[in-house]
Amino acid sequence: MNLLDIRNLSIELDTPSGRVLAVDRVSLSIKEGEVRGLVGESGSGKSLLAQAIIGVLEDKWHVHADRFHWRGIDLLRLSIDDRKALLCRDIAMIFQEPMSCLDPTTLIGEQLSEAIDTSQLSGYFWQRKKQRKEAVIKLLHKVGIKKHEQCINSYPHQLTEAICQRVMIAIALAGRPILLIADEPTAAMESTTQGQIFRLLANLNQLKNMSILLISHDLENLTHWTNTITVMYSGQFVEAGSTEQIFNKPMHPYTRALVDSSTKANLQLPTKSRLMTLPGSIPVLQHLPIGCRLGPRCPRAQQTCVAAPTVSNYHGHKVSCHFPLLRETGKKVKGSH
Amino acid sequence: MSVLLDVKDIAKSFKLKGHWYHKRKLNALSPLSFAIEAKKTLAIVGETGSGKSTLAKILVGAETPTTGKIYLNGQLLKNQHFKQRCQHIRMIFQDSGTTLNPSLTIQELLDEPLILNTVLNEKQRKNLIRTTLQKVGLLGDHMNFYPHMFSGGQKQRISLARAIILQPQVIILDEALAALDPSLRSQMINLLLDLQQQMGLAYILISHNLGIVRHFSDDVMIMSQGEVVESGKTIEVMRNPQHKVTQKLMMSQNFQIK
Ligand code: SF4
Repeated sequence: MNLLDIRNLSIELDTPSGRVLAVDRVSLSIKEGEVRGLVGESGSGKSLLAQAIIGVLEDKWHVHADRFHWRGIDLLRLSIDDRKALLCRDIAMIFQEPMSCLDPTTLIGEQLSEAIDTSQLSGYFWQRKKQRKEAVIKLLHKVGIKKHEQCINSYPHQLTEAICQRVMIAIALAGRPILLIADEPTAAMESTTQGQIFRLLANLNQLKNMSILLISHDLENLTHWTNTITVMYSGQFVEAGSTEQIFNKPMHPYTRALVDSSTKANLQLPTKSRLMTLPGSIPVLQHLPIGCRLGPRCPRAQQTCVAAPTVSNYHGHKVSCHFPLLRETGKKVKGSH
Repeated sequence: MSVLLDVKDIAKSFKLKGHWYHKRKLNALSPLSFAIEAKKTLAIVGETGSGKSTLAKILVGAETPTTGKIYLNGQLLKNQHFKQRCQHIRMIFQDSGTTLNPSLTIQELLDEPLILNTVLNEKQRKNLIRTTLQKVGLLGDHMNFYPHMFSGGQKQRISLARAIILQPQVIILDEALAALDPSLRSQMINLLLDLQQQMGLAYILISHNLGIVRHFSDDVMIMSQGEVVESGKTIEVMRNPQHKVTQKLMMSQNFQIK
């Protein structure tokens, strides 16, 4: 069953220069127990989309969707308060720069126990304190922190970035979420600690059957950890499919460029040869191209691309492009280079 | 080819606070030597605290080494002689946005090193700025803009322009590619490779992305806790990593070269 099913979600922002369509009809679905990657470069609207899902958007932002289902419940029909209550219970989110998300003046232990809901504790009120402490220690063990005493009695600045991220994950787990949204959880971390955090998330996914939405700007970093991937560019939906489909047989010119520019996928290239890349830079919100927003940078663009393409579905591999790279053409492109 | 930069037995240690008869020392960098030729790239890989940043700081002259000598073109670089050094060894940082003064236009930003280090008059300087901007793929007219008007990738190009404007011989890229989006990163890699060929630059690339290191560098040095644990030709080291640290690094990035 689809845990989350979003169809054509748009977000408009009010800016001094008028309304801007920051996210343009993006669809996203997450199945129970899967790890989905959401890939996009800066300005792709991936974080906006995540914020729209958990509903922390400001009033200045106008969100519309054709469909917004959470475990079969139509969220668009619920009142805002009901929706918030429902999503708060089931979804948790962690961010990049964990250190700035934790309260610098409060001990880790207190911040953790704050996150534990009283309804999770059984027993009389005089037993609560002890139970709470036990729950905190259990949470810390769950995220792989063994020296719990030391951790509980530290302030965030005394811990490393990676431990802080683990604490953030522990806080997120306190609510026993069904879906965890991780927004670039390993940005600015060492590659070895990055691996640890990803492995922890993968373990939680396997053991607790918790679904994870993993947001990142780097396709090659994600491929090892995800089942399915959705790619966005400049607020538009680009391509979605299983990780193998996206990485091995990209159909959209943009995904193709991402894969081609990844140094890991091109190990057969001689060193110091030129990498394939798209010309130009990512458009800014104030000057978005009309139609397909990749248009000005796209090597396959033609006249029709001034109209936004619709999504077509090839055996579960969804792509939004007028001229997708189908298997045959994909080969031809490869041969001619 | 002749050796451009020759580093001999550089070491750095800090004195820690302690009792006066119980002085302790922290070795940030154990003695190490290496040499780079023109048009070559040396990659330095290591975790935080491995001493790679200390090494970079010593090379640009922001720190003085405790022992050891640096030769550029066979000439000894003196610790206090900043003018000579900053003309020939330049550095680019990860977060280019914060290294550009937001209250100056691009022209003023690029003018500064020229005024301090060259005897060019105003018109010559302006022309040089224009051609340098074009070299890094920007327009000459961009020089009247302020840094905030550029995107992250373009800011990185401006940092690059500022680095190459004095016609240096060595550029240190301190994680300069890490914060860029993938499609801009490959543009930047292409640009850096082109400039290397055109200007005969030597790069010292500090990075932990092994994919980039593999693609970009000729030699590699793996550092851990202030020591070089493994060094050699990039391809050979990656094909057959010997040291535990290297192996762990490659494992953590699921990296394998057949
Ligand atoms: S719709 Fe056109 S411009 Fe957009 S990606 Fe496809 S070919 Fe390129």
